[in-house]
Amino acid sequence: MQYLANPTRFLKLANAVLPFVWAIAVALLILGLYGALATAPADYQQGETVRIMYVHVPAAWMALFVYVVMALASAVAIIFRHPLADAAAKTAAPIGAVFCFLSLATGSLWGQPMWGTWWQWGDARLTSMFVLLLLYIGYIAIWAAIDEPHRAAMIARVVALVGVINIPIIKFSVDWWNTLHQPASVFRMDGPSIAPSMLWPLLVMGLAYSFLFLALHLTSIRAEIAARKIRQIQIAEIGER
Amino acid sequence: MDFSDKHIEFILASYALSFLLICGLTIYVIVRDRRLRAEAERLDKLRRKENT
Amino acid sequence: MTLILALIRRDLSLSIRQGGGVGTALGFFLTVMVLLPIGLGPDQALLGKIAPGALWISLLLSVLLSADRIYQQDYDDGSLDIMTMSPVPFELVALAKAVAHWLSTSLPLAIAAPVLGFLVNLDPRAIWPLALAMMVGSIALSLLASIGAAVTVGLRRGGLLVSLLVLPLYVPVLIFGLSASQAPGSSPDIATPSLLILLALALVSVVLSPLASAAALRSYLK
Repeated sequence: MQYLANPTRFLKLANAVLPFVWAIAVALLILGLYGALATAPADYQQGETVRIMYVHVPAAWMALFVYVVMALASAVAIIFRHPLADAAAKTAAPIGAVFCFLSLATGSLWGQPMWGTWWQWGDARLTSMFVLLLLYIGYIAIWAAIDEPHRAAMIARVVALVGVINIPIIKFSVDWWNTLHQPASVFRMDGPSIAPSMLWPLLVMGLAYSFLFLALHLTSIRAEIAARKIRQIQIAEIGER
Repeated sequence: MDFSDKHIEFILASYALSFLLICGLTIYVIVRDRRLRAEAERLDKLRRKENT
Repeated sequence: MTLILALIRRDLSLSIRQGGGVGTALGFFLTVMVLLPIGLGPDQALLGKIAPGALWISLLLSVLLSADRIYQQDYDDGSLDIMTMSPVPFELVALAKAVAHWLSTSLPLAIAAPVLGFLVNLDPRAIWPLALAMMVGSIALSLLASIGAAVTVGLRRGGLLVSLLVLPLYVPVLIFGLSASQAPGSSPDIATPSLLILLALALVSVVLSPLASAAALRSYLK
């Protein structure tokens, strides 16, 4: 971590590993999609609709994982004052928001044939995921609203950490609310156990999404470093005039 | 994969949406990275030329 | 400690003297309570069913929208700068100002709201539980709103951003507040545990909010 705090060293490493990360992500995606669409069996209850799981569940995993990454980067930024940690947190947010939106949209597309409705408030995970999307949007809005980058970074750290402390509380309360309002039998998206023939494509897809995130994140941080450099040069030029 | 499933449009829609959004994000990230790095490079060169 | 009490007293008298504190918030609350039946139709049974939820949501919005002034004035006139240099930890200053907001705005609202429940055909037996739950829940509401106020204090147009940042954090308070406000005797009887959880949420926000607010305010003052 200390090693990567230096932007030059980070760039060197990122440039070296990025082609491999992209390659692994694409390879895993192809393998995962093959498993999800060709080898995995249709569910005896849900039929082919169960295949939505292979894009829905990994997106939901990533939505949570990326928020944790964001909060960790913010904590590192506060504790160690690493110049890159803020950039890491900032660039993770839009990627996480896209995954979060995808998990909601595919969940809704899965819900329509299963529940007969596009949105089921009776499903706690949909509700918490929706709140998570709002937290992402709030975090991104903070970066957009504050012009001065250093100040924006400090405020964004606070917002990310307050968010990550509240996520378990929100999750707990929504689950609890749901058990109160549970209709007699709501269709559940996962059974207690899952057959290995369905599990491995799911795990491969999860891994593929993780590598995809890594590639996107590293590329975004690299772009962010370039953006900072541009800003510094522009400020220096104004100072010279 | 059985394409005669009665909910096939939902399955295709969720895969298509995932594909489109992830591709869109990837293209956006890569294009932004290229543009910013090229711009940084250009400004850097310009400044070095002025200084010498 | 005396300094903190003095600060709370100062903020309280300021909010009373300038008006615009509880009066405006109460007016806003009443407006929402008028709009709801108009929007939903005059069906008494339906209104009675949604009454606690309607009152809670009006409370959330009134507290939230009155909160953006918690730090604003002292930030604008530089008092906050001076407070960072006082011997009192800045976290306690932030807490004192949030507590003053709770005392001056949220608590009066929480007391008045159940009484206004007759507007939406609230079950009279639910008035006491609702008042109790709102008094406890409003602590968390004020403190969470103060984080939003601190985070956007230097921004010219922070209003919508505060709502976007804070309303998701209000979800647990709304959920447990609602189940703590049910009329006694309804089944399942969960009012007491919900009230305890609400109290726990208030305590968590007492710890979290001063830390977060002080950190955010410092970055604006530097």
